[in-house]
Amino acid sequence: MIRLSLLQFRIQASTAAAVLAAFTILLAATGPHLASLYAADGLDSCRGGSCQNLAIYFSGSVGRGPYGVLFLLTTGVILLAPAVIGLFWGAPLIAREMETGTAALAWNQSVTRTRWLAVKLAAGGVAAMAVTEALSLMQTWWAAPISQAAADGASIGFAQSRFSQLNFDAHGVTPLGYAAFAFALGVTAGALIRRTIPAMAVTLAIFAALQVVIPLWVRPNLAAPDRTVVSVTSPGMAGPSQTGPGGASFTLYADSIPGQPGAWLLSSGPVNAAGQATSSTPAACTSVGTGPGAGPQGNAFAPGQGPAAFVACLAGHGIREAITYQPASRYWRFQATESAIYLALALALTGYCFRRVSRLS
Amino acid sequence: MSAAIQASALGKAYRRTWALRDCTLAIPEGHVAGLVGPNGAGKTTLLRLATGMLTPTHGTITVLGQPPAAGPAQLARVGFVAQDTPVYARMTVADHLRLGAWLNPGWDDKLARQRIRQLGLNPKQRAGSLSGGQRAQLTLTLAMAKRPELLILDEPVASLDPLARREFLQGLMEAVAEQRLSVVLSSHLVADLERVCDYVVVLVASQVRVAGEVSDLLAAHHRLSGPRRSSGSLPASLEVITESHTDKQSNLLVRADGPVLDPAWTVKPVSLEDLVLAYMSRAGSDTPARRSHLGVVS
Repeated sequence: MIRLSLLQFRIQASTAAAVLAAFTILLAATGPHLASLYAADGLDSCRGGSCQNLAIYFSGSVGRGPYGVLFLLTTGVILLAPAVIGLFWGAPLIAREMETGTAALAWNQSVTRTRWLAVKLAAGGVAAMAVTEALSLMQTWWAAPISQAAADGASIGFAQSRFSQLNFDAHGVTPLGYAAFAFALGVTAGALIRRTIPAMAVTLAIFAALQVVIPLWVRPNLAAPDRTVVSVTSPGMAGPSQTGPGGASFTLYADSIPGQPGAWLLSSGPVNAAGQATSSTPAACTSVGTGPGAGPQGNAFAPGQGPAAFVACLAGHGIREAITYQPASRYWRFQATESAIYLALALALTGYCFRRVSRLS
Repeated sequence: MSAAIQASALGKAYRRTWALRDCTLAIPEGHVAGLVGPNGAGKTTLLRLATGMLTPTHGTITVLGQPPAAGPAQLARVGFVAQDTPVYARMTVADHLRLGAWLNPGWDDKLARQRIRQLGLNPKQRAGSLSGGQRAQLTLTLAMAKRPELLILDEPVASLDPLARREFLQGLMEAVAEQRLSVVLSSHLVADLERVCDYVVVLVASQVRVAGEVSDLLAAHHRLSGPRRSSGSLPASLEVITESHTDKQSNLLVRADGPVLDPAWTVKPVSLEDLVLAYMSRAGSDTPARRSHLGVVS
């Protein structure tokens, strides 16, 4: 039975091998050059705060070039691989046998349907997970300079935190879970619908929907977020917005938490000295202009004017920023939890397939 | 001797329709049994139930004394050639033989190769490009080479041209002669059955109309013609299967347990085709006692 499933699997296997080979060649050919660019920008030997500026420079300059495109392209391949596997390996596995009537041939040899399905699922599932994870590991190796730049504090271009959706979905162990689930989903859809094309459509729709729903609404809640309140210090963090009916208001911009590099910011908003959410500018700060022309001579600001003065004024009135976040240290816990969810779903679908296939006719 | 296929009040219901309803029959082992009946009689459903491709919703069925497809051992005892003889279009003829060898512990590789050679099939040809007749022969080869005790064929020749049909049935007969296996095949073409079957079951609307060894059935049935008379006036030893009357003459097809001695009748033998068609066209309510007498095997 194992040999039969390998025989029937050879077209899919050769396609996967071709993709893997192209991927390997592309990354192996460009990886060392990307690493040398990283080293050339001085990131290998930097210490402390200078690293962040170097990392930002590296990400900004290299990320705009072909490597930025290649990064997105290879990430896209990893994210699409589970869907493609679910569609072209999973969905036809049972549906094609029903459509062409070959189930009558397959299930009348001296092998029970249960064993037939077990071997097919095992071969396909292991291959699906291996291929996807191999793509992921290769790209993780290739993108190590980019990840390091992100860890050094760059968050422009292709350097994004490990919690960003592209990186979280394409690296770590999540590709394993996605691949197993998409494959099992395809097989189940095929067993239920018994026709390949509709089964493929249903597989794609469900998998795509989950890939939107889980990162947006499930993943942030896999662990109770931490809360912190940070003081408003840097001029880049705040600015007044339009004056509305409720009086002048302001917004805060924060993309990192002091002392928590790589944390995943879930929400943030200003609070007043009493800890209550607020967005109205304290009366004393409304006269502190920050826009061009606020100063008397061109771009220079008069004393007591400008962004720095505005931030200082807010801080002086007790305005701080409340942030909910997931610390960077939870990365692997999140990876493991999400993979476990997908693997559990895959197992449940597999169990259903076994029940279903014994009653198919 | 156990039955090749034994069904008791067997039924397969779908949401709104019955594919087979209250079917009771026993087909003995050691025969080439033809299952014949009009389209929709439930032949395919019965055979798919016998191979375990379907599970019954009512009643029971055993094949060679065991529930169908109960495990690898039972699967190995039964070979099945499904309707339209499906094959894997992308796999070659040789791949199909490999499949058979891998999945069947009792695989007779010599037999399989010999048959493929005799049929003139190119082992490297893809099964999808075979003709209908070649495809049927390939599936028959697969079913035979697993060395089953019972071979079930569902309308194996329905879609074949007359020459391919003849070749297929000839191949089947040769294999049966060599392998000593029981065969149950369904067809709605009586001429095919006449050539190969020594046992026949006529199934109409899930019910067995008549079943028995072909030679016994032919010996017990007669075509009578004579001066017009009503069938009610016949002796009890004659069971009228069909009758037709003109102004002056009556034509009957009867079952007689003994010879027909009444000199008023001209007695002629019947062909299997006449007999089957007579039972198929006969109104549905044949007596249960008669049926069980005909259908049961010891």
